[in-house]
Amino acid sequence: MKIAVCIKRTPDSETRFRINSAGSAIDESGVKFDMDDFASYAVEVALQMKEKAGSGEVVVIAVGPDSVQETLRKAMSMGADRAVQLKADAIPFDGLAVAKALAAELKSGGFDLALFGKHAFDTSEAVVGTATAELLDIACVTAASKLEIANGKGSARRELEGAAEMVEFSLPAVVTIDEGIARPRYPSLKGIMAAKKKPLESKPAQLGASRVTVKGMALPPDRPAGRIVGEGTAAVAELVRLLQTEAKVL
Amino acid sequence: MSAQNVVFLFVLTLAAGIFSLNVQRLVSYLRIGLPENRTDNPGWRFLNVLRIGIAQTKILREPVAGLMHATIFWGFIVLTAGTVEIFVQGAWNGFSYERVLWHPFYVVYAASQDTFAIFVLAAVAFAFYRRLVVHPKRLEGDDIEHLDAYIILGLIAGLMVTLLFANAFLSIIQPDAVGPEKFIAHALAAPFQGLSPHAARGAQLVFWWAHVLLVLIFLNYLPYSKHLHVVTSLINVYFSNTSWRGERAVMRPMDLEADTETFGASDVEQLTWKNLLDGYSCTECGRCTAACPANITGKVLSPRKIVVNTRQRLMERGPIATGDTMAFFGLDLAHGEGKDATASLGDGPAAHRLLDTYITEEELWACTSCRACVQECPVSIDQLDIINQMRRNLVLTESRFPAEIQPAFEALERNGAPWAFDAADRGRWADGLGISTMADLAARGERPDALFWVGCMGSFDDRAKKITVAFARILQACGIRFAILGQEEHCHGDPARRMGNEYLYQMLARDTIETLNRYSVTTVVTACPHCFHQIGNEFPQLGGQYEVIHHSTYIERLLQQELVPLRTDEGRRLTVAYHDSCYLGRYNDIYDAPRETLRRALPVVTLVEPPRSRDRGLCCGAGGGRMWMEERQGKRINIERTEELLATGADTIAVACPFCMTMMSDGVKAKESSVPVLDIAEVVAGQLS
Repeated sequence: MKIAVCIKRTPDSETRFRINSAGSAIDESGVKFDMDDFASYAVEVALQMKEKAGSGEVVVIAVGPDSVQETLRKAMSMGADRAVQLKADAIPFDGLAVAKALAAELKSGGFDLALFGKHAFDTSEAVVGTATAELLDIACVTAASKLEIANGKGSARRELEGAAEMVEFSLPAVVTIDEGIARPRYPSLKGIMAAKKKPLESKPAQLGASRVTVKGMALPPDRPAGRIVGEGTAAVAELVRLLQTEAKVL
Repeated sequence: MSAQNVVFLFVLTLAAGIFSLNVQRLVSYLRIGLPENRTDNPGWRFLNVLRIGIAQTKILREPVAGLMHATIFWGFIVLTAGTVEIFVQGAWNGFSYERVLWHPFYVVYAASQDTFAIFVLAAVAFAFYRRLVVHPKRLEGDDIEHLDAYIILGLIAGLMVTLLFANAFLSIIQPDAVGPEKFIAHALAAPFQGLSPHAARGAQLVFWWAHVLLVLIFLNYLPYSKHLHVVTSLINVYFSNTSWRGERAVMRPMDLEADTETFGASDVEQLTWKNLLDGYSCTECGRCTAACPANITGKVLSPRKIVVNTRQRLMERGPIATGDTMAFFGLDLAHGEGKDATASLGDGPAAHRLLDTYITEEELWACTSCRACVQECPVSIDQLDIINQMRRNLVLTESRFPAEIQPAFEALERNGAPWAFDAADRGRWADGLGISTMADLAARGERPDALFWVGCMGSFDDRAKKITVAFARILQACGIRFAILGQEEHCHGDPARRMGNEYLYQMLARDTIETLNRYSVTTVVTACPHCFHQIGNEFPQLGGQYEVIHHSTYIERLLQQELVPLRTDEGRRLTVAYHDSCYLGRYNDIYDAPRETLRRALPVVTLVEPPRSRDRGLCCGAGGGRMWMEERQGKRINIERTEELLATGADTIAVACPFCMTMMSDGVKAKESSVPVLDIAEVVAGQLS
């Protein structure tokens, strides 16, 4: 089975973000970037499928500038067989533009399955996977928390609010991966060394026109400090009053 | 030449031949290990043999069992001279040292034989008593191990008895040949004086031959017994790590660019010949295991088992790797504490390896890297080196490690600290304290006297930040011109290295060296023993050379020079128990500086020592990456240690390490005690006038 995993390079979630002077993007100085968490679950799922089948190929694909090569190498150090960089000056904010580039690449690849993260930590749009499936006109399952492929058919579990949905689909298909499906492996040095020798192909991304631009960015306001309304039973009435009038939660 | 001489020489040649073949086999097995140069500093190595080997200094750390062993050992040396005499007699009838030695010297020699024979017999009797009646925990083992010990003790006793009786009967048939110095022989001969010369001659022959044969049997039993250590231990001490303090505790350098598929050690071929020689030298005395904090608190790790299992596996792998067809009986030195998990790997030596078959992951991860095992081993075995190499294999080759340390690895990669703290907050503790960063000074074209390396605990942990501030206040009060790196500091990688992740370590360490060199740093002070050891002792492997001083030494010096403005508090009494940090103490021999710091800062202090103290101190449980792992088995090490410290009745527990601080504070809390845990810097800062 030939599995493509489309991964994204995103800032580390522990970073305390600052906004650049133009107010249009985050200030990237001092910010560490790594493979997006959801993307890393997708890579792990693909690797486990290949290992279970005992054969197959896992190809990782990312859109972006040369810095994404580091992320692609990491996926290869985990065990992916080869990587494709779809070169762009920056990772477009518009998910549809990215999806067009990925669809163009996937179309010619002869993949049985294309895996994506459910959404990316930075843009949180959850659009690239679905848009790519639409462009390729193949089945799409989003937010899979379990995934099995057998005899050219797939089945997946999707977590819903208070329930779960089991779906079946035919291949080829796009599946976006939810958390909890697998714990991404930590690359061994053996894997890191092997990844240096694995093929990484770089070609220009056939991005669609970006129809979304970021006009401005703002940090959420600081949370106000907690307030002590009083002590003992006397405070209860005041607390209830504040919850009703100020917080408006009662 | 009589027929007896011929028979003797034949038996001797046969016995020596078999022994020599066995020795060659054992040496050939060592060759399957990796090379390692242990031939430098011959003078110092020889002194080590005299000190540790001949003078038995490490054996005597345990007074009772130590004296027992030393008596047998010194007896062995003295009596070997007699054995040589007896062997010469075998070839040359009637030979005696009396013919060749200066008479007074001969008298001393003759007396020494009988005296030591009696001492050795007494020591052997005591050894039997210990094994049969006292049953010390550290001597527990399987049945073969016990049988081995009894055979050895029995053989030693047999040698003494046959020697004494051979001389006793000789004194009857040839009164001139046995002088009055051999007083035991004469005493033993007394009841047999009425014997016919023929019977006495027969008895003498029987005992003489029994003695000779016992020696030869013993010799050939050695390669099948832990008693091989009589041959290997002095050699092992000679080739042991003779580096100076600090350096000796450095982890083995590792070439990450080496063209290999395997990193670290999963089998005996990936250990060095010295690691394998350690296996031959282990006497299974269990002193290492008895001192191991993990073992004491009920974890699976036993450093003795690590070494014995390495030997067991070598005995299995050696014959296959060397194509040796002479591994007869299959018993050679192979006894030990058993395999662990053969089922999962299939059976047969081909499916076995050291990791998994003999030593489990769980054992390796239980180690706190405290070096107590290395400290205690009387024959200078390095158990920790084997553990470290195997951890490297688990992480670098197989990516197998406790799930809870993955976040630490990832945080080190992303945030430069083993916890997910924002690197931008690193210097926050210093806000408003008027402390310069190296960048500030460089911008002004200045250089400080010392760089204060704060460390990750000292930068981010709320409790440890108080130690950091206390030390900074002392430096300021003494007018020391120092600076911090602030945001430019990040972890030097020691936790990653101790957890087997050498790749991550070297990345972080090289980066740190680059930063330090950029500011031309020469002197570093730090309140963390792990930072102190790593930057001072392990960075030179990667080309970073700095003078690194731990705050215990630094403050002691400041106090000594009377630079610290202290107030006196008359009338107060204070009893303090100081807890030794492994990375300060056993790693770097710094035991007195923190104690002296307390004494000088607090003239009213009385220091009390827990039973396990100084180089016998018990680890807090956080070393070797254990800080990031849950302790699920047995008692918690920090509780065990806190109980010991509280039992001293001290009003205050003092530490000199932020890791020890966390562990002891948690311990005190768990014991619902109100005894404060303070870093020595906090004690001193509290006395600033």
